[in-house]
Amino acid sequence: MKKTLLTTVALLLALPATAETFRWASTTDPQTMDPHAVSSAPVLGFLNNVYEGLVRRGPDMSIEPSLATAWEPIGEGEGWRFTLREGVTFHDGADFTAEDVVFSYERASSEESDVSSWFAPVSEVVMVDDYTVDIMTSSPQPLFPDSIANWMMMDAGWAEDNGAARPSRDTENFATRNVNGTGPFVLASRQPDLETVLTPFEGWWGEADHGITEAIFTPIQNSATAVAALLSGEVDMIEPVPVQDAERVDANDGTRVIRGIESRVIMLGFPHDRETLRSGAPNPFTDPAVRQAVAHAVNVPAILQTIMRGSAEPASQLVAAGTSGYSEVHDARPEYDPELARSLLAEAGYPDGFEFDLSCTNDRYLNDESVCQAIVSMLAQVGMTATLDAMPVSNYWPELRADNFDMFLLGWSPGTFDAEHPIRFLVHTAGDRLGTWNFGGYSSPRIDELLPVMQSELDPEARQAAMDEAAGIIQEDVVYVPLYVQPLLWGVRDGVEVTQRPDNFFILRWVRMD
Amino acid sequence: MLTYILRRVFQSVLVLLVVGLVAFAMFRFVGDPVDTMLGQERTMQDIERLRESLGLNKPFFVQYWDFLVRAVQGDLGISYRQGRPVAEIIAERLPATLELAAVSGVFALTFGIVFGIFTAIRRKGLAANAIMTLSLIGVSLPTFLIGILLIYVFAVELSVLPSFGRGEVTDLGGWSTGFLTRSGLIALILPSITLGLYQMTLIMRLVRSEMLEVLRADYIRFARARGLKTRVIHFRHALKNTLVPVITVTGLQLGSIIAFAIITETVFQWPGVGLLFINAIQFVDIPVMAAYLMLISVMFVGINLIVDLLYVAIDPRLRA
Repeated sequence: MKKTLLTTVALLLALPATAETFRWASTTDPQTMDPHAVSSAPVLGFLNNVYEGLVRRGPDMSIEPSLATAWEPIGEGEGWRFTLREGVTFHDGADFTAEDVVFSYERASSEESDVSSWFAPVSEVVMVDDYTVDIMTSSPQPLFPDSIANWMMMDAGWAEDNGAARPSRDTENFATRNVNGTGPFVLASRQPDLETVLTPFEGWWGEADHGITEAIFTPIQNSATAVAALLSGEVDMIEPVPVQDAERVDANDGTRVIRGIESRVIMLGFPHDRETLRSGAPNPFTDPAVRQAVAHAVNVPAILQTIMRGSAEPASQLVAAGTSGYSEVHDARPEYDPELARSLLAEAGYPDGFEFDLSCTNDRYLNDESVCQAIVSMLAQVGMTATLDAMPVSNYWPELRADNFDMFLLGWSPGTFDAEHPIRFLVHTAGDRLGTWNFGGYSSPRIDELLPVMQSELDPEARQAAMDEAAGIIQEDVVYVPLYVQPLLWGVRDGVEVTQRPDNFFILRWVRMD
Repeated sequence: MLTYILRRVFQSVLVLLVVGLVAFAMFRFVGDPVDTMLGQERTMQDIERLRESLGLNKPFFVQYWDFLVRAVQGDLGISYRQGRPVAEIIAERLPATLELAAVSGVFALTFGIVFGIFTAIRRKGLAANAIMTLSLIGVSLPTFLIGILLIYVFAVELSVLPSFGRGEVTDLGGWSTGFLTRSGLIALILPSITLGLYQMTLIMRLVRSEMLEVLRADYIRFARARGLKTRVIHFRHALKNTLVPVITVTGLQLGSIIAFAIITETVFQWPGVGLLFINAIQFVDIPVMAAYLMLISVMFVGINLIVDLLYVAIDPRLRA
């Protein structure tokens, strides 16, 4: 009797989410509603629900028509012609035309924009007629349409009328808190850090079959609180679910975990161009045999089994299998073989091993610190004595930039979902625009030659050949030791269907509720 | 008298300035905001340009001086993360923290005094001993654990109280209050208990020991001899004399309730200044961190100053 009473009270008090209202929570609040001001996954992922680009990505990351219905290359790689969808209106009723595309190009490629690097190869954007736009490039760009899936279209008139013709990063402007896109959802209200409410856009050009009448997003930083909110039914979906809570969410009546694979590859990096370690001792990692020994000494399946509880997949290269440009011929990753690691070390002149520091984040990747601890003990078994130096990510990047590391953990998610991306940032010789995350200072003339081929080669087979060759060099030189592909763990209540995408964007229009 | 006040005010300002200096010296160790502000595809030039425009390349005392110069003009800077004036963000978040602090203060005071009296009067009773033992647990368990425990029991298992947030709030001319709605009120229960538990046990123990002391005093014995009712002795004569130190301690604890709200706010996703501060640390949002630390130290120093001045008013010996 008492139990029944409690349950009744609970039902009355718990504010059960009605079938139409969808509530979800994530750790990070999108810091702005301006699609060109900040290039971060929380911002771009959220804004994909209210703004749209010329093209968009499907659940498997493939490119599909969005505001452009068709596109074709101009001449021999001089640019791309986009045919725009007719009859599309912005949330305020204005028509979407080629003028808005030109404006959005100027806005997104301006100095104030955080996404201007997407337009580095673009020389000019020409409005052919109201529904045709030519984007001219200075070199052939076979993958240009793939690289602009997050380039969102803004209404020229609306932005100019409200003094938001340029994105604003350091201060607020009208577009920071207001939205006028063409997307399936309208921003109904927004309180930064507290609550953001979306409602369906009645005039959306697409077919809306999600059945949501209102979607409420709340950032919840503390993952234990987020899990409690899901278990108590106060939210319908949370992301991410901490790895250690996944079983609990699954075991609980009425909630479950949706598991997938993110496109983020976790790897170990080395100092390639330094004479000494932090301690002043000679740097053993300049020898490829030593790096190969590391690759064989780390037992990736064991890490995945214990720390990731079987949710992640091993990685053989800098991108996950299924990414465009992934090298099938280099699919095998080094076997766990401590004996081989020991003999490689002995041959390299370190029969008794050596001491070094392993730099690691403790708040950036899933269970990053635990993974590093495991790596430390695995390396110790073959004689490499590592001291773990774990720190928050806000301290981590300055340390890496200052070359203050002996070995480091890095996660990389290819923004373009193409294998060229990590090569451009992680492997190409470090410079101002290229190799900007190549902290180890690796340099290979052949890789530097192959990168332009990957970027400009129009023939898919020749391009893939360049990709394969690069992947082979990276594996042979052990530039990095790819460990695993980070898992995606989302928690939902029963009766809610969501679709995960490897870039960890949450696409609201794919939600299905009973 | 005047020199005393002036000296105390001068000392308070000095304390504030030192707190600020220490804070700015430490920001360098919190990390570099540039990486969180720029995307994956930033160039080295972008990093340099941003560092330059934020003034991060200057020595910390120069940054501190710039902050002070702007702060005295009422400009607390622009948040790195939200791009909005810090003063505006803090004004938006402060009501949540102050309401939470007020409710937990009232909770701590009420239950602290009631339990304190109870355990003093029924010193040997089973219930009193149980309360004393439980209070020990309350003092020794960390706040976040108590919070998680309460969430687990009342939100997840019993589903009677919300696990996060402030519920529905009403805007009263720039002050958002949760006192006027049902969901706002029930959302206050768990965070207030979590935040006030430690203060409650502190007050309870203080009241108990003071009360035991007073009950041994001659005038209480005399009151008993006069045949007064026990209730009158306990509540009119004993309790009144117990409250003086309690009020002093409570005043001083008010500051720490607001400061300790950081942890409670994080556990309950309570949208106050404490949660704002935690966010700011993660993002290395220096203007927000600086403003919060200054706000808290102004509050602490202010309360201490008032208490000091009250002593002067109460104690004639200090006026000489």
